[in-house]
Amino acid sequence: MRQSRTWWGRRFITALEEFCDPARLSRGRAYLRNGRILSFVIADGRVTATVRGSVNPYFGTYTEPHYNTGLSLTPIPSQDWERIIARLASQASTVTRLLMNEVPEDIEASFVSCQTLLPEREQDFKTDCSCPDYENPCKHVAGVLYRLAAELDHNPLLLFELRGLSRAELHNQLRRDPLGQSLAAGLEEQSPVPELSAAYYTSPQLQTRPETSLKEFWQGSKRLPQDLTAPEPTAIPALLLKTEGDYPAFWERENSFLAAMEGIYERVRTKNQSVL
Amino acid sequence: MIEASPVLILHGTWIPDLEAGFIQKGAFYLWVESDGKPWYLNLKALRTFLASSLNIEAPASYFIEQTLLLPTAAGQPLPSFELARYLETELPEQFEWQFWQIACYRLAASTYSAKGSPVIRLLHDLYFRVRYELNDVQFGSDLLFWHHYSQFLKGILYKDHYIPALKLRQLPAQGKRKQPVSEIYPSWQFVSAQYEAGILEYSQQMPLVCASGQTGQVGFWDRETLLRHFSENLLVDIVTHTPLPEVLSKQLGGSLVEDCLNLASPWLSSLDGVWETYQQWLIWKHRLTTARTATSFVLGLQLEAPENEGPWQLRFLVSSRSAPSWQLSLADYWGRDAEAKAQLQPYLGSQFEPQLLLALGYAARMWLPLWTGLHTDRPTGLVLTMEEAFTFLQEAAWVLEEAGYRVMVPAWWTPEGRRRAKVRLKAGSSSGSATVNKGYFSLDALVEYSYELAIGGETVSPQEWEALVAAKTPLVRFRGEWLALEQAQMAQLLGFWQSHRQAQSTMPLLEWMKFTANQPDLEVEQDATLQAVFARLKDRSRLELLPDPPGLVGTLRPYQQRGVSWLIYLEQLGLGACLADDMGLGKTIQVIARLVHEKAQGDRPGPTLLVAPTSVLGNWRKEIEKFAPQLRTMIHYGPKRITDTPTFKATSLDHDVVLTSFTLVRKDEKLLASLRWQRLVIDEAQNIKNPKAAQTKALLKISAQTRLALTGTPVENRLLDLWSIFHFLNPGYLGSAVQFRKSFELPIVRDNDRQQATILKRLVEPLILRRVKTDPQIIQDLPDKIEQKLFCQLTKEQASLYQAVTSEVARQINDTEGITRQGLILSTLMKLKQICNHPRQFLQDNSPFTPERSHKLSRLAEMTEEVIAEGESLLVFTQFHEIGTALERYFRGYRYRTYYIHGGVSRDKRERMITEFQDPASGPAVFILSLKAGGVGITLTRANHVFHFDRWWNPAVEDQATDRAFRIGQKKNVFVHKFVTLGTLEERIDQIIQDKKQLSITVVGTDESWLSTLDNERFKQLITLSENAMI
Repeated sequence: MRQSRTWWGRRFITALEEFCDPARLSRGRAYLRNGRILSFVIADGRVTATVRGSVNPYFGTYTEPHYNTGLSLTPIPSQDWERIIARLASQASTVTRLLMNEVPEDIEASFVSCQTLLPEREQDFKTDCSCPDYENPCKHVAGVLYRLAAELDHNPLLLFELRGLSRAELHNQLRRDPLGQSLAAGLEEQSPVPELSAAYYTSPQLQTRPETSLKEFWQGSKRLPQDLTAPEPTAIPALLLKTEGDYPAFWERENSFLAAMEGIYERVRTKNQSVL
Repeated sequence: MIEASPVLILHGTWIPDLEAGFIQKGAFYLWVESDGKPWYLNLKALRTFLASSLNIEAPASYFIEQTLLLPTAAGQPLPSFELARYLETELPEQFEWQFWQIACYRLAASTYSAKGSPVIRLLHDLYFRVRYELNDVQFGSDLLFWHHYSQFLKGILYKDHYIPALKLRQLPAQGKRKQPVSEIYPSWQFVSAQYEAGILEYSQQMPLVCASGQTGQVGFWDRETLLRHFSENLLVDIVTHTPLPEVLSKQLGGSLVEDCLNLASPWLSSLDGVWETYQQWLIWKHRLTTARTATSFVLGLQLEAPENEGPWQLRFLVSSRSAPSWQLSLADYWGRDAEAKAQLQPYLGSQFEPQLLLALGYAARMWLPLWTGLHTDRPTGLVLTMEEAFTFLQEAAWVLEEAGYRVMVPAWWTPEGRRRAKVRLKAGSSSGSATVNKGYFSLDALVEYSYELAIGGETVSPQEWEALVAAKTPLVRFRGEWLALEQAQMAQLLGFWQSHRQAQSTMPLLEWMKFTANQPDLEVEQDATLQAVFARLKDRSRLELLPDPPGLVGTLRPYQQRGVSWLIYLEQLGLGACLADDMGLGKTIQVIARLVHEKAQGDRPGPTLLVAPTSVLGNWRKEIEKFAPQLRTMIHYGPKRITDTPTFKATSLDHDVVLTSFTLVRKDEKLLASLRWQRLVIDEAQNIKNPKAAQTKALLKISAQTRLALTGTPVENRLLDLWSIFHFLNPGYLGSAVQFRKSFELPIVRDNDRQQATILKRLVEPLILRRVKTDPQIIQDLPDKIEQKLFCQLTKEQASLYQAVTSEVARQINDTEGITRQGLILSTLMKLKQICNHPRQFLQDNSPFTPERSHKLSRLAEMTEEVIAEGESLLVFTQFHEIGTALERYFRGYRYRTYYIHGGVSRDKRERMITEFQDPASGPAVFILSLKAGGVGITLTRANHVFHFDRWWNPAVEDQATDRAFRIGQKKNVFVHKFVTLGTLEERIDQIIQDKKQLSITVVGTDESWLSTLDNERFKQLITLSENAMI
C-alpha cells in the first residue's frame, strides 16, 4: 500500500518523522505493506489497532504475538473549536475544499491559540502499544501511524475527530453559519448504494408475441434522420474526468490519473483507424 | 440516370451470443438478399460476393449460418421491403413468423485480431462503397440503421464520454458460507447524457429485423437493451484493444485502470482492500454522473474589460436550467435576506448553496485563479490582471464552457466580434479600361489588386503593425477598443506583406473570384465598382430589374424578370451562368426572354445554339413559336438536316436560334464547331455529367461568346455534376476533375469537411441561380396551380406506325358506313393514342418499354427523376391500364416507391396505398392512377406534381383528376404537366380542348362518340400526321 500523496497526508508523515526512530519507522512501513495490521478502528477520536508482531526469543516471545496499539492526537478544547469553526465557515474557499474532500492549504490560518489541525511535534501524539519495546513510538505504532496517514488522504475530516471534535459536534457547530450549513449538508450526503450488476453487459431482453407490421419489421417506426454528420473528436480531452479532479481515491499511484487517462482517450481516438 | 440492374440487398445486425453466462458477448452478422431464389446467398456465394464486390476477404470460419426470425408466407421467407420494391411484388397481408437459417458473415468482437471490433469502420466503408461505387448493391434499412447508430456511437467515443468501471456481481451463497460473496469485474462504461438520449432516440428508429437474430423463441429483442448490449460490447472491445505505448502502460501499473484495460479476472470482494476500492470508485462515479447534473442552476462567469486602464472583473452569475433567460449575479444573491432567497428556490433548487460552492470548486479546479474569488464568505467574483484575463480567455473560457458552465466574454473576443490581423487584398477595377463605371464592369475589364496590412477591416501602417508585434502584452487597446494580439502570426503576415507589397497585379474577374474564394484567411477590400458587382452577384434583389422586352408574347412573372436580368448581367460580365430553377418555374421562357431582349436591342448578334435532349426539342420550338414568333428558329435534327458545312454556316447565321440534340453534338461535331456562336445553351445540363463521354467532349469544343446551362436538379448537392457543368460554363474555374475530386469531392462527401464545403459554396454561388418553388418569395409570384404543356415529338418508330395506321384508315373509311364506320373511327383513335404513348402499347408484343422508343416516356422519366430527387411526390394519370402497369414496372425498376390504383384494386388495398403514400414519414413516391378509377373521391395531397400522360377530350375530367392533389390540405403549389405529342391527334385534341375552354361551349361531349359524326375529310384532318411531328 502506498503511503500518502496528499499534502496533508505528507505533512502528517513529516511530523512523525521528526521524532520517531528511523529504523522503527522503516519497520513500521513494512508492517503496513505486509498486511500485519489486523484491525484498525477509529472511534471517539482514538485509533485502536491490532498488529501482528514477530517471534523474538530475545524478548521471550516464541509464538507470533498480537499487540494492541492505541493512538490519538492532543485534543483542542471545545471553546477553541467554536471560534475555529466560525472562522473556517467564513471562507467559501475553505468550505468548498472541505466539501470536495480536500484540506485547503491555508487551513491552519483559521486555528487559534497556537492550535493546529495537523500534528506538528511529538507532544501532539499520544501513542501506546502492548509490545515489550521500551521505545515509544515502537514499530507497531509507526505502522499504525502510516496507516492513519493513508486513511487521511481520502478522509481528511478525520483530523477534526482526532483533534477531539466529534462528527456530530462538527455538524452542530457548522450549522451556525450559512456557509457551514452548506458544508454540513454536503457531508451528510449518503454515500451511494452499491450497484449489483445482473450481467457484465446489459442483457438483451426478449419480447415475445411479435405483433408488428411488415413495415415496422423492415423499416422501423420512425424514419432515420436524412443527413448524417461525421463525428468530430473532442477539443478538450478527458473533460468529463477533469471536473472530478486528479488523484481519485482509488488511484494509488504517484503519477497523475488525469494524464494517464488522457493518454488512453487520445489513443482510442487516434490509434483506431481500422476500427472507428 | 440510374441503371436498373439486378440487385443485391445488404443486410446486417448485431446478434447476442447464446450462452447466457455473466459475460454475454455478441457479434455483428452480415447477410445478403438477392433477387433470385432462394432469396439469400448461401455460404459459398456470400463469401465470393464479399470478396469480389466488397473486398472483404475472410477465412471460411467467419461464414456460418445464423437463425433469424423472418416473416414467412407460402413456405418462403418474404422479401424485404427494398427487394419487394425492386421485384415489384406485393407483400401479402397474411404471413407468419418462422425461423430461417441464413448464411452470414460473422464479425465477432475482435476474436480474430489484435485490434478492436471493426464494425463501425466496416459499416462506414461499406456505406460509402455501396452508395458511390456499386450500382447493383444497396443497403437494407437494417444496415442503414446500424450505420447511422454506429456513427453516433463513434461520436460518443470521440468525446471521451466513458470511464473505467467496476461491475459488482453477487455470487449465490454456497455450502457452509453464510455471507454471500461478491465478485468485482473490471470494465468500461459510458457516462454521457448524449449517449442516454441517443439510446432512446435510436431505439425508436431501429427496424425490428435488427432485433430478430437468434431469439430462441418467437419474439424480438427489446430494442433498447439490444442497443446497449451492442454499444457496451463495442466500447469494452475497442478500448481494451487500443494499442498503448509502453510509457503509458507503465503509468498505469497496479491501478484499477490497468485491470480495466487488461480485463483482469474478477476480484473477490472479501479480499483485503477490494471492497474499499470499489466504494471509492463508486463514489467517484456517482459524483461524475448524478451529482453533477442534478443542479437546477448553471453557474455563469462573466468577464468584463476595463474602459481603459484598470483591473478586469470576473463576475459570478447563476441562471436557471428551467428558465435559461433568468439570471442573477451572486453579488445580488448574497444581498438578499433569507425570505427573498427562499423565493428563488424555484429557480435555484433547494440545495443551492452547497451545490453552488461545489460548482465554484469544480470550476476552480479547472482554472486555479478562481480560488482567490472564494476567500470570502460571499463569493461574487474576482479581480484579474490583464495577463490573467488573457489566460482566462485563451485557456479557461472554452474549457469551462465545454464543461457546462456559462461563460460570457467581451464581444471583441468572440469569433464574430474579433478583429483579426490580416493581410488585405485591396482591389479595384482596372482604370485602364474605359468601360468601367457605376457598377458596370465590362467583359474585358480586369481586377487590379495590391496587398496591405489590416486589423479588423482597418488599414494599419507597417510602423503601427510592428509596434503591436513588439508589444509586451497579449491584449492591447488599439484605436479605442481591446484587441487580442496573435503576435507570432502577425510577424508572419508582416513577412508575407513585405514580400508581396510590390506586387501590383491584375487578373480577369472570374479568376479573381476563384482566387479570393480559395483564400479564406485573406481579407479583401474592393472598390465601389467591384463591391457593386459582388453585391449583385450575391444578392440578386439588388439587380436592376429589366422590364419585359418588347416583342415577348406573354408576361414574365416577377421572379422570372429577376432571372432574365440576372442572365443578362452575368453575360455582360463574361461569366457562364447556370440557371437551376425548380422544374415548373419556367426556365424556358426566361431564356426566350433573354433572346428577345437581345434581338430588340437590334445590334444583330450571332445565332444562339441551344442543345437539349431530343425529347424536349419539340417543346422548345413550340414555346419559342408561342412566346417569340419573331425569333427565327431552325431545328438541326433528323435525316434531312443540313450536313454541308458552308450551307450550315450560312443558314445558321441567318437564324436567331439553332436547336439541336445532345446526340447530334457528337455526330455533327465539326459542323457545329464551324462557327463561333453568340451563345451556347444546354438544357438539362446534367446530361454532360460524364466528362469522358464523346458528347461532352464535343460540346466543349464548340466556341461561343457566352455559355448558359439549364438544369432543374439540385445540382449543388451532386458534386460531380456540378464540376461538369462548371467545366462547361467556365473551364478551369473549379480546377481539373482530379483536383476537384481531391480538394472538394472526397473531403466534402466522405470526410464532411466544412471548410472545403464553404469554399466550394463561395465559388459556385454567384454563378448559380436556383429558385425553389417552396421559397415564400416565389410562392407569392405563383398561382396555386400552374399548368404547363409538355410538347414532344414522335420517335421515328412511332411516326412510321402512326403513318401506317392513318394511311390504312384513309383507304378504308370511304368504303364503310354506319356502325362499321363508327367502329373504325373509334378503334383508329384508340390505336393512334396508343402509338403516341409508346409503340409497345400499340404493338402489344411485350417489346421493351424503353424511353428510347417514346419521347413522352423519356420526358416523364427525366422529370420524375427530378421530382423524386427533390424529395417530392407525383401523380401520373393515364386512361390505359396497360400503360399504368408498364409505368409501374418501369418506375419500380428505378427503385422509386410506386403505387398504382386502377379498377381492379380492392377497396382495402386502395385505402392502404393512399395512407402509405400520404404518410409524411415515408419517402417521396410515384402514384399512378387510371383516369377512371382514380378520378374522384380520393385525396393525394402529398403530391405536388400531376402528370397527364395521355389526354382526354373533356378538360373537366382532367381537372377533376388534377384535383386529387390540388385539394384542401395541399400546402404547396401544384404543377400540372400535360403531355402533347406534336403533329398528331393529341395536338389537335389539345387545340379543341383549348378552344372549348375559351369559347366555353359544349360542342364536344364527354367521350369520343361525337367524333363519328365528323365527315370523312374532317376526320382525316384530325388524325393526319403533320410535318412537325418528327421535326
